[in-house]
Amino acid sequence: MMTGVLPLVGRRLVASVFILLIVSFLLFVVLHVLPVDPAAMSVPPNATLAEIEAKRVEMGLDRPLYVQYGIWLGQVAHGDFGTSIHFRRGVLGLVMATLPATIELALLSMIVATVLGLAGGLLLFHTRGTRTEKAIDFGSILLLSTPEFLWALFFILMFGVALPLLPFTGRLDPNMSLPAGTGFLLFDSLYAGRPDIFWSAVRHLIMPSLALGIAFSPTIMRVLRSSFLDVYQEDYIHLARLRGLSERRILLRHALKNAILPTLSLMGVQFGFLFGGTLLVEVIYSYPGLGNLMVDAVRNADLPIIQAVGLAYCVVVLMINTIVDSLYLVLNPKLRLR
Amino acid sequence: MRNILPPWLRSARVIIGLSIIAVIALCAVFAPLLAPHDPNEQNLLTTFLPPVWAQGADSAYLLGTDSLGRDVLSRLIYGARVAMMVAVIASFGAMVIGATLAYLAGYFGGRIDSLIGRAVDVWMSFPPVIMSLILMVGLGVGLRNVILAIVIVDWTRFCRVLRSEVLVVASKDYIAAARLVGFSHWRIITREIIPASLPLLITLVSLEMGIAVIVEAVLSFVGLSVSSQTPAWGQMIADARQYIYDSPWNLLFPALTIFFAVFGFNMLGDGLRRTLDVRLTAVQRV
Amino acid sequence: MDMLIARDVSVTASFDGGIVPVIQELSFSLPAGRILGLVGESGAGKSMIGRTIAQLLPPGFSVASGELMFDGQDLIRLPAETRRELLGRDIAFVPQEPLSGLNPVLTIGRQIDEHLGRLNFGHARLRRERALDMLNAVHLSHGADLLDKYPHQLSGGMCQRVLIAMAFASKPKLLVADEPTTALDVTIQARIVELIAELQSREKTAVVFITHDLRLAAQICDNIMVLYAGRPAEVGPARDIFSNPAHPYTRCLQLSNPTVSGPRRDLYALPERMPGLSAIKGIVGCLFAARCPNVIEACTKALPPFIDIEPGHVATCIRPEATKAIAPPGLQRAELPQAGQPLLEAKGLTKIFKSSHGFFRRTAFAAVKDVSFTLNEGEFVGIVGESGSGKSTVARLLCGLEKSGEGAIVIADRDVTDGGAVSRQHQRTHVQMVFQDPQSALNPRRRVGSIVTQAMEAAGGSTSAERLSRAEALLSEIGLPPEAALRFPAQLSGGQRQRVSIARALCVAPNILIADEIVSGLDVSVQAQLLNLLMALRRRRSFSMLFISHDLSVVRYLCDRVLVMRLGEVVESGPTEQVFASPSHAYTRALLAAVPPDDPTVIWNPRGAEVAAPVLTATL
Repeated sequence: MMTGVLPLVGRRLVASVFILLIVSFLLFVVLHVLPVDPAAMSVPPNATLAEIEAKRVEMGLDRPLYVQYGIWLGQVAHGDFGTSIHFRRGVLGLVMATLPATIELALLSMIVATVLGLAGGLLLFHTRGTRTEKAIDFGSILLLSTPEFLWALFFILMFGVALPLLPFTGRLDPNMSLPAGTGFLLFDSLYAGRPDIFWSAVRHLIMPSLALGIAFSPTIMRVLRSSFLDVYQEDYIHLARLRGLSERRILLRHALKNAILPTLSLMGVQFGFLFGGTLLVEVIYSYPGLGNLMVDAVRNADLPIIQAVGLAYCVVVLMINTIVDSLYLVLNPKLRLR
Repeated sequence: MRNILPPWLRSARVIIGLSIIAVIALCAVFAPLLAPHDPNEQNLLTTFLPPVWAQGADSAYLLGTDSLGRDVLSRLIYGARVAMMVAVIASFGAMVIGATLAYLAGYFGGRIDSLIGRAVDVWMSFPPVIMSLILMVGLGVGLRNVILAIVIVDWTRFCRVLRSEVLVVASKDYIAAARLVGFSHWRIITREIIPASLPLLITLVSLEMGIAVIVEAVLSFVGLSVSSQTPAWGQMIADARQYIYDSPWNLLFPALTIFFAVFGFNMLGDGLRRTLDVRLTAVQRV
Repeated sequence: MDMLIARDVSVTASFDGGIVPVIQELSFSLPAGRILGLVGESGAGKSMIGRTIAQLLPPGFSVASGELMFDGQDLIRLPAETRRELLGRDIAFVPQEPLSGLNPVLTIGRQIDEHLGRLNFGHARLRRERALDMLNAVHLSHGADLLDKYPHQLSGGMCQRVLIAMAFASKPKLLVADEPTTALDVTIQARIVELIAELQSREKTAVVFITHDLRLAAQICDNIMVLYAGRPAEVGPARDIFSNPAHPYTRCLQLSNPTVSGPRRDLYALPERMPGLSAIKGIVGCLFAARCPNVIEACTKALPPFIDIEPGHVATCIRPEATKAIAPPGLQRAELPQAGQPLLEAKGLTKIFKSSHGFFRRTAFAAVKDVSFTLNEGEFVGIVGESGSGKSTVARLLCGLEKSGEGAIVIADRDVTDGGAVSRQHQRTHVQMVFQDPQSALNPRRRVGSIVTQAMEAAGGSTSAERLSRAEALLSEIGLPPEAALRFPAQLSGGQRQRVSIARALCVAPNILIADEIVSGLDVSVQAQLLNLLMALRRRRSFSMLFISHDLSVVRYLCDRVLVMRLGEVVESGPTEQVFASPSHAYTRALLAAVPPDDPTVIWNPRGAEVAAPVLTATL
């Protein structure tokens, strides 16, 4: 099985690198037509015009855009993403410090979205043709109309303000400090043997991951339901009935494996969007991840950070897509074998 | 009586969706007539008033006031202007670009198709929220730029779905037959392919309007949409979030408004999809 | 002992707010070890009988009365769980579409194993051995490799063999085969029929064989039931029914089928078509009366009873004695225009399709290899071949839908190979094409009138009144009423749509018409109507035609010369009668042998002369 998949995954990875190059160039172009002068911002406020000019030459800002891009790419290849204008710290360090928090949030949200989506889809299909289906279907449109940031706000109003059950700022209670390690809090706290920190981290993650997960579940639900309906039109389902298989076995052994395929390819796209959606949820919950870093950088016009964080989002999205595509290949023999 | 209406107007979903959108559109058009107050008029003596049904309310401010004493209802009504402008113009812009590329890619295939396909791949590697944020950094704030950013980000939504539909239509024998009787490419696309994909296009536009409302709200929430002088729903949420304990109402009303606007567009889209007989594959159906 | 007995079974459907009969008064008995053929055109209700046996009716359909005794138990009244136990064990099914009958994401081995598991065939290793035996029994070599394959890696014929193996795994008492060969190539069809017959006689299985092909049924079945609009028209021993049909519908079906041997005879084309579900309810009297050549007033007064013709042979016709007299009208072949000067010449046509699998792997596949022929003025030339023979690619090359890699095309003294604008224009005015699937060939959003005059629309300079009157003229020429111009394709039947497709091609008055499988997928009576229409048009318009088909009998009926294609190459060509009477290439002989003979008393040997691989034997 793997022999068929690996070359295809390899090709996908090569394609991802190309995409990343194009994305980084586009990012570079967009951010360099800005009215902001990075040179002026990276010298002390009392610097003279001549000093700014010297800085500009030093930063290569007087050269054509593609040359500047080449220089930048060369630096990136050496792991140098530049220095934050605002924090006066290396950008790579800042991104690496916040990325695990965002990935942790995104992963949990994906689990929530998948569980809710698959369960809802099965329920919608199971109740097809009944009033219950109509009700759930209507409910799924309600869910579909509520983007993640509205869920985040509603949850704060409900469980943070009206019924103060859960904390809604940060990753941990204020009196706790981050344990050293990978930056993945749930993992680090367990590894350090600190269940109190683990528990606090979980409590801080509940609302944000629910908000994100719920917002992305109705799409999965509806696709799963539709692909079930499509699959049940197929001859092999009818023939499986004629062979005397039970409905339960037909659903789980024959229909699910086929219906999951379109659902999976949609989830690849959806999870890319979901990863972008973490930005808002992080801002709303003051969750110290990539999103807050990005929004702060935007407010401070901190170009090196915007550039690096933008790229970080793309890298993760491409990784998600590659993983989902590989899974799709494993599950779909038609693509894997000719 | 009901039968003289076209089938798509007989769907409950379409009617509900259209009604909600009509209310918001009317608010947007007649905002100066409908709004009880100037949306930017501050009154620092009456800040954080609750809505009329709560204790300590002032009946002059139906939905209460915000941290600067501005009338929440008036700001919501004026906010519909930005939302509707963005929804309508950005959706059509994204549709024109996305659909044009989809028709070119799906009909001509080959290199054109793979080039456009690559572009879509690049776009898909960028989460829409992040891309619109970066674009707004590059373009600078303002209504025109918000619309531009949404068009640049969201054309792929049309292109992806429509392209596969065009591929199906273009492989039909009646397209080959049209070529055989001497139809030009232009005539085939405009007379044979576009009519076939019109129901899908209409449905997608209606869903995209909902998405555009969300994106505008997101951008104004992080302060990257219209200038702070223009009332926008996302901005109201951002303001209210800082005073969440002082007045949860201030947060709730714009949030509910956004929800209803998006719900209206989604209901319309879902109703149209069902009644216009849009044959979608499972993935496109959502 | 009778394995399956139907007693007065009727099935109804709720349709348009009313209850419509789908199956009426169905009675038969099928002894163990015998084959019952259910014959009829689409809409006759034959597949519904298969679904009734399994009690898996579509939503809205239900059995209204009667009983269906299987091995002493009434299938209709059996509790669902008990009935499910019988399915796949005592009652097995072979479907029409083998490729879609297998689950695409499970290996063949997994699917067979699941079935054997349900049949309690012991532990995994025993089941695997059993699976290999089964594949062997259906003559699939390399069984062990096959078990790890997915359905899309097999051909249609191989999938059907796998499904047949699964059906016979439990040594069922009853097998229901629903058009098991319709989706397959001619030569494969014959093999599958042979295989079912072989296993059936070995296991003494009772078989319900559903088919639209009366000739095939007469050849392999013991008894035949001809169905019309859900009601039995005639039941009896297969040979009796074929050689001495008592119901006019049976006789007409027989006469509307062209032959592959013996003298060429003209076709009898029944008018109109079988009443659909919405129409049946309003019919008083015989359901066939509206199309029957022998209809008398009494036929329209009451539903005809079952009348004994001979012992065991009954027909629902009140005038069985008149049936013999039905004969096709003569088509006066002598008047047909004589072939003249060469009009179209193909010289060494070659088409290679390239596909890339990633960066390095590219495969090239020659769909058409060095094909040369001429088509003379007024001549009808047939191209015969199975799927993958490249016959459709030739059609697309000739009308410019596809560009050839090598070779030249000369049409009316002009070389159009370059595919430039002038060549295209020239090609268009001389060559038009009619497509296989009328559903796909007609834009569902255009009215018929606008479809048939698309050529005028393209040329410009015509008013809509001019186009409408031209459309009406064209429609009357192809046998549709003028008001059809305002209809949409969805409002027409399959045969009518194909007529519209022909009218569109005729609009530019081409001298060459290319017809790509235009009658495949149509019922025989509709096919006969279309073939007779083409003959009539030929006399009136004297165009040349390239008629592409997998059906040898149709080509024989229509064409003066024939080309036989196989794997992209022309293997044999010549005057039709000569090729059919004394085929020189082994492949042509195999194709001819695979068609059931017109005379059921002739013993059918579908293998005929053996042909070497790779087309005919199942290969991996």
